[in-house]
Amino acid sequence: MAQPAVSVAKKKQAPSLLEFLYKHGTLLAILVVIAYFGITQDRFFTYENFSDILRSISIVTLVAIGITFSLIVDGFDLSVGSTVSLATIASAAALVLYRQEILVTLLVPLLLGIAVGLLNSLLIVKLKLPDLLATLATMYAINGVQLTYTKGFSIYNDMPLPDGGTAPGKFIPSFLFIGQGEVFGIPFSVLLMLIIVIASHLFLTYTKPGRLFYMTGENLEAARLSGIPVNRYRTYAYVISGFFAALGGIVLASRIGTGQVSAGASFLMDGVAAAYIGFSVFGAGKPNVIGTLFGSILMGVLLNGLTMMNVPYYAQDIIKGVILVGALALSHIQKK
Amino acid sequence: MDENAGSTGEEQMSGLYMNHIYKSFGTINVLNGVSLHVQPGEVHALLGMNGAGKSTLMKILAGDLSPDQGTITIDGKEQQFSSPADAKKAGIGLVVQEVDTALFPALTVYENIAADEIAKTKQKPLLSWKQQKERAAELLRRVGLSISPAKLIRECSLHEKQLIVLAKVLSSSARYIILDEPTAALSETETKRLFTIINELKAQGVSFIYISHKLKEIKEICDRVTILRDGNVVHHGDVASLSLEEMIRYMVGRSYTTAQRETRTYGDDRLFEVKQLHIAKTNTTVDLYVHKGEIVGIAGLVGAGKTELAESLIASSKTTGEWWIDGKRYAFASPKEAIAAGICLIPEERRKQGLFLQEPVRTNLTVRLLSSLTKWLWVRQKKETSVAKQLVDSLQIHPPFLSTSVRQLSGGNQQKVVIGKWLKTDARIFIFDEPTKGIDINAKQEVFSIIRSLADEGKAILYLTSEFQELLDIADTIYIMVDGKLIKRVPAHDITYEQLIYYCSGGEMDGTASRFGRQEKASAISS
Repeated sequence: MAQPAVSVAKKKQAPSLLEFLYKHGTLLAILVVIAYFGITQDRFFTYENFSDILRSISIVTLVAIGITFSLIVDGFDLSVGSTVSLATIASAAALVLYRQEILVTLLVPLLLGIAVGLLNSLLIVKLKLPDLLATLATMYAINGVQLTYTKGFSIYNDMPLPDGGTAPGKFIPSFLFIGQGEVFGIPFSVLLMLIIVIASHLFLTYTKPGRLFYMTGENLEAARLSGIPVNRYRTYAYVISGFFAALGGIVLASRIGTGQVSAGASFLMDGVAAAYIGFSVFGAGKPNVIGTLFGSILMGVLLNGLTMMNVPYYAQDIIKGVILVGALALSHIQKK
Repeated sequence: MDENAGSTGEEQMSGLYMNHIYKSFGTINVLNGVSLHVQPGEVHALLGMNGAGKSTLMKILAGDLSPDQGTITIDGKEQQFSSPADAKKAGIGLVVQEVDTALFPALTVYENIAADEIAKTKQKPLLSWKQQKERAAELLRRVGLSISPAKLIRECSLHEKQLIVLAKVLSSSARYIILDEPTAALSETETKRLFTIINELKAQGVSFIYISHKLKEIKEICDRVTILRDGNVVHHGDVASLSLEEMIRYMVGRSYTTAQRETRTYGDDRLFEVKQLHIAKTNTTVDLYVHKGEIVGIAGLVGAGKTELAESLIASSKTTGEWWIDGKRYAFASPKEAIAAGICLIPEERRKQGLFLQEPVRTNLTVRLLSSLTKWLWVRQKKETSVAKQLVDSLQIHPPFLSTSVRQLSGGNQQKVVIGKWLKTDARIFIFDEPTKGIDINAKQEVFSIIRSLADEGKAILYLTSEFQELLDIADTIYIMVDGKLIKRVPAHDITYEQLIYYCSGGEMDGTASRFGRQEKASAISS
């Protein structure tokens, strides 16, 4: 009977190199990448560049937190990229085409994001379709919706309208502040990201619903037999995922100041990679928000540095793919 | 009794002989020189309690395991099986209990039947489907199945699948076919049809080794029997001259007593009752009740429908009917509702259904208590830790750490965690489904004492198991479950171990089993 205790204690005493790498590999990788770019690229260690990196990370992190929620309930949401695009177009349209003020401009995309989440959970939780295929379908459908609505054209200030005039509204300063403004020298979007990271982390780690999210994902049957309303939690997860993707879309629209079609497509891959890299941070072994943040930092720094080294964006996709495979391999090693 | 297996001449060597087979795993001797002789064209029953060595012996015959000592001869030719393929080539066929594991659901019947051949054909990359279809049709005729060879497996009933596996086995011209619990999931008419087919094949010279817990069927279909106990052959001979009681006595060996413990007292009012509970999975209807503080056992063989009953009681699977708790009527549509009314289930598959393996002991124990530990959504860690600590101490969970992930605990300690999560809730009806499965003897005693103290507190306990001795140790009252139905409710001290087996094996409910009555037992065993 005393055996298990002994072996547990032993394990803690002598962590193998692999375990060390697993636990701290992500942090190590971030440091190595920063050091490398810092040495080789003169412009890397500048305030402007860091603020740029952080701004781009903030959007990825928002999207990735949504993905993290869907991973926590053992699901998957491929539709986040399309939801980002949809939200970008929706907020731009509200501002430019309908001359709306800030409240409506924020509410419309967020409600759309929630609607996408509800649609996904209808397909996955109620109709019991496989999550990957269901969200693959919504990914295409949502992307089609935003393309159809804009007829494939971006939405921008003073754009010409089909009836000959120009668009009545414009990107208002209060909206642009979200993606471009600064508070005490810190980009507002970065603050927003940090607040949401901390809030989600506290929520998932220390609250009852947070814990039930994890339990639902870890063992659906045990959770059900423990009286946890598992379907409700799975629904929440997809709704939260849609909500955060929409929030990411708002920040994106605000940052670039136009409503570009299909602008969110690349965030799916970045977000998924960030969330999976996050599995291993500090040896968590499960999806977690702090890990996701580090994952998107790694992705952000790497992509920034590669851009500086004039690696074309299409070649960067190769590197993203390799990183995702590496992160998946790591999370598999942990399971064994 | 029969011709001696080992050293006789060529003439007597027809049939299948397993001679003095020994097999041990580590220090445990599973088979101690077991011999089995199956004649051509007979149905030979292989009997034994769980752990008697039946499965190991059959695995050796099917080429899955190789024996430490002993030989196998078929029609006078000695065989060396180093793989299941060798055994197949020698004419051994196996129809496994879980037929779904032997079939490809998305393929057609004829593709499944031809699968083995396709797999081994190296020189012929092109197949004639027409030929395969015709061949399959003929084999299906042989097993009495009138379905189209082009039907998909996933559209077939369980009975059809079983016969398809049999057809597949016949296609490799097997002459000695192992049937492992073939009727466990079959209805009575399907069983009858299977028996007809077995008899037809028997007439064609095919032999069967028939493994079943349903002793009545053994009497019906088998010609001869070999009975194993603790890795030894304790009897072999004709079935006709052996009564059900004698079979059970050989299987059990020593005499088990009835409940030799002080009789517990329990209340008169029914704390829990279900009326006309219809279980969709087994398509049966059950009625049962448990008094306050009573431990009610449900005895049934593997496949009798115990787990289905347990899942229905907590409304986890499709169920209709009336639940009565403390005189109040309920109808539940989900486990959540049943749990809210005070029912809890300690499920059979503890790792799959009872635990959050990656999570620490603490959160596993407090999953049902979070509401009382939470203020404004916030789980109060100190309070949680102290509650969990109390549970770990009172259940003597080892190692006594709250942060160990339950994956690292032993089976017994895991089970204590599963039970522990309900102890501080207001659950009043505890359903235990095979709670001692895979845990050691000490942990078993601990689980028993937890169950007893729950009953002493006035809870209603339901204990479902196929380990009948446990019921005699712990239950106050026992229901007998056969084919999804509860057929008898008896006080535990009025029934013997042998009687339990007898009834659960499909023995009649008349006076026959009284031959196992307490008075005669002592003398009967010694004879």
